[in-house]
Amino acid sequence: MATPIVEEYLEAIYKLQGAGKALGTTELGKELKVSAASASEMTDRLVQRGLAEKMKDTGIRLTRKGQRAALELIRKHRLSERFLVDVLGMDWKDVHDEACRLEHAISPEVESRLDKLLGSPATCPHGHPIPDRQGRTSEQPARRLSGLRRNETGVIAKIAEEQRSLLEYLATLGMMPGSDVTVQQVAPFDGPLLVQVRGATYALGREVAEKIWVREK
Amino acid sequence: MALSCCSAVHELRGHADFVFALAGNPNVGKSSMFNTLTGTGAVTANYPGKTVEINVASTRLAELTIGLVDLPGTYALGAVSEDQWVARQGILDGGPDVVIAILDATNLARNLYMLLQLQDMGLPVVAALNLVDEARKKGIETDVARLSMLLGVPVIPTVATRGEGLETLLSAAVSAARALRADGGARPGSRARYGQDIEQVVAEIAHRAQPLVGVAVPAVTARGLALLLLENDQQFGELVRAAAGGPELLARVGQAAERIKAAHGEEAALRLIRERHGLAGSIADEVQVRGSGRELLSQRLWRLTTSPVTGIPILLLTLAATFAFLFVVGNLLSQLFGMAWQAGVSPVLQWVIHAVAGNGVVARILTWGPDAGIQAALAVGIPYVLTFYFLLAFLEDSGYLNSVAFLTDRLMHKFGLHGRSIIPLVAGAGCNVPAIIGTRVLTTMRERVIASTLIVLVPCSARTAVIVGALASLVGWQWGVAVFLLSGLLILASGAGLNALMPGQSSGLVMEMFPFRMPSLRTITIKTWFRFKDFIFFALPIVLAGSLVLGTLYETGWIWKLTGPLAPVMEGWLGLPAVAGLTLIFAVLRKELALQLLVTLALVRYGPRATNLLSFMAPPQLFVYALVNTIYIPCIATIAALGRELGWKRATAIMVFTVVLALAVGGGARFVLHAVGLG
Repeated sequence: MATPIVEEYLEAIYKLQGAGKALGTTELGKELKVSAASASEMTDRLVQRGLAEKMKDTGIRLTRKGQRAALELIRKHRLSERFLVDVLGMDWKDVHDEACRLEHAISPEVESRLDKLLGSPATCPHGHPIPDRQGRTSEQPARRLSGLRRNETGVIAKIAEEQRSLLEYLATLGMMPGSDVTVQQVAPFDGPLLVQVRGATYALGREVAEKIWVREK
Repeated sequence: MALSCCSAVHELRGHADFVFALAGNPNVGKSSMFNTLTGTGAVTANYPGKTVEINVASTRLAELTIGLVDLPGTYALGAVSEDQWVARQGILDGGPDVVIAILDATNLARNLYMLLQLQDMGLPVVAALNLVDEARKKGIETDVARLSMLLGVPVIPTVATRGEGLETLLSAAVSAARALRADGGARPGSRARYGQDIEQVVAEIAHRAQPLVGVAVPAVTARGLALLLLENDQQFGELVRAAAGGPELLARVGQAAERIKAAHGEEAALRLIRERHGLAGSIADEVQVRGSGRELLSQRLWRLTTSPVTGIPILLLTLAATFAFLFVVGNLLSQLFGMAWQAGVSPVLQWVIHAVAGNGVVARILTWGPDAGIQAALAVGIPYVLTFYFLLAFLEDSGYLNSVAFLTDRLMHKFGLHGRSIIPLVAGAGCNVPAIIGTRVLTTMRERVIASTLIVLVPCSARTAVIVGALASLVGWQWGVAVFLLSGLLILASGAGLNALMPGQSSGLVMEMFPFRMPSLRTITIKTWFRFKDFIFFALPIVLAGSLVLGTLYETGWIWKLTGPLAPVMEGWLGLPAVAGLTLIFAVLRKELALQLLVTLALVRYGPRATNLLSFMAPPQLFVYALVNTIYIPCIATIAALGRELGWKRATAIMVFTVVLALAVGGGARFVLHAVGLG
């Protein structure tokens, strides 16, 4: 049985892997708000348990076993969110953190009953697909917009949902799931990106571009 | 003169036959239109606590007086950002007869989004299709009649910078307003035009929301209110919640939003935004033909300025040119103003003062105030302010500021700043005053406070004069360079420190990049004059009062009484003669005054040999003196600018910070110099 901490790592690696560049412990630590050193130590433990592996080219990534465990956790997280919104009537904006706590406490028995009660929903309240019991998901691999190079194009797949005002602001500019986006220029020293969306060009700071996930057209 | 928005708009209502609001995306030529229509008589108004301003002015059309409210340029009318909030509030409070929506013909789809939103709120709209000349150059032709038909509003093609179409536009707006009044003020019911299921939901909610309209919420239509609630608008949500029957209505809205989400797989708010984009896009496609536009010079320039390889050299050149222009033109104006004052005004003023107050102490004090005070302002602040305002308006209007922000954003982030702050920071080396006012291009108060603090630490031309005059020329150029280097280090350290200490974080950059445009001289001049006028009204009284106080201290001889209390700090800590400390206080009026006064007071105290500073101060003392003079509170005009732009609390905090920093660094330098055997 994985501890909540192990589970958090699995979830984070799942989210970050394949984001364009090799995933290192620094970035992983940043995501989990821990030091690179503790991220590194924990990664080693995951590798020992056969849940993750460290590859030269792609950095840290999950093994098949780790992937399965991560998807199982994501399933529990997204089912919990559905439950909080549909049954308890909470606001969709507020359920993410609650679900982070609940997901570690859900047994397979509770999970299957929750699924039944909710009518086997296909997506979470934020619109992300819920993996099935076998850990299959309809999610295609998406990359962060910040990982795109000059002249690369893509379709916005999702925008990390924590900040509602940013989400709406971007949406009014036409930056929302389904919109085509082209990177025109990348500023030096990890600076902003110039992207073209719906005929207009915008400069997006790195921290904003990191929240936008794109898929190949 | 900042007025509250409410009073400014209400006053306008009182004397104008019609009031129109100008709404539009940023950089569509809205301000050009406003300035061309109204000339120089505009009044700037603020909402309390907001930095985004609304301009209000009136113009005439035949026998009619027409009030115009220039809203901040925004992409939408939500309440998610300060500019959007102010734009929306300006419309809701002002209750314009008609909203003139200004559209950029070169980017019609995105611009139509806001027009649709205005219509959704049930506001009467007349559209100006601006920049048609630029669109034509890009090979874009618009079927204006068809656009007007599809939108159900009059559409007038305009070229705001040249004034083309503006009279027709105003006439169209007047006709629309007259038609509305003839109808007894009934708002046009906005038409159903989104997806069928959504319109069904909207109609149902609108029906239930009807009783609240005009009672619990500002005057939007029932359909408008329904859409706002479905979009989860916080301001309207709260108003409705507080009304009788409001919570029930909100519950309905919640259920309806859930239905939309279930059907479309995304939040109702986002779905509505998507529908509006879709509609805007399809209208734009239907009315516009895009020819094969060749790459214009403006586009090429823009590529050159944003590409790192060519952009960075261009940026460095621009910064150098900005600085040189400020220095050369500012200096020239400074001398001209100074000469004109001394030749023309000063003698008259002196004569009047002596005629009224005789030849005693009072007369001499009065000479300090109006005469020396205004002359100081003419010599230091004003020439540079005027020059810099002009430059800033040019850089803003040309679109280059955006390229700069893009290139330097990363670097400035380390100091909690935005790419746009580099221009004011560099301008600070000419004069701090316009640089601080230039921080208006920054969006959050946090960024403005950090940028202003750093600007205050940039040695301006007056302080440079002291560094050169008292130190470099007497002791050696290396000593002067050392002061500049130390200031640079302090700026970097303060920036990083403030970024770490101040709550909040630098906001994520999301900024539209505009193609380059040749700025119109007229618009720039009007813009410059506006900002300049604002500054003069604010700063001059403070400079006058400050001069009078200092004059009183000096002429009554009370200044020597300060020697005692200052001694522990000046002599004990900084190791400077007390007389030098006094001049540091006086330098608050204008920094280069420190040097002149030092010579003057030294003559009084030490006799004629004191014209050579080295006769009573050692090189390390002069170094500490120049250093402290450079770092502590800039000057009275800067204080005025800080107070005006950031409020007195923040201005005071910055002043205290610089004094503490100056004493710490000055004292530190003394002991280090002593330790290495130079003192």
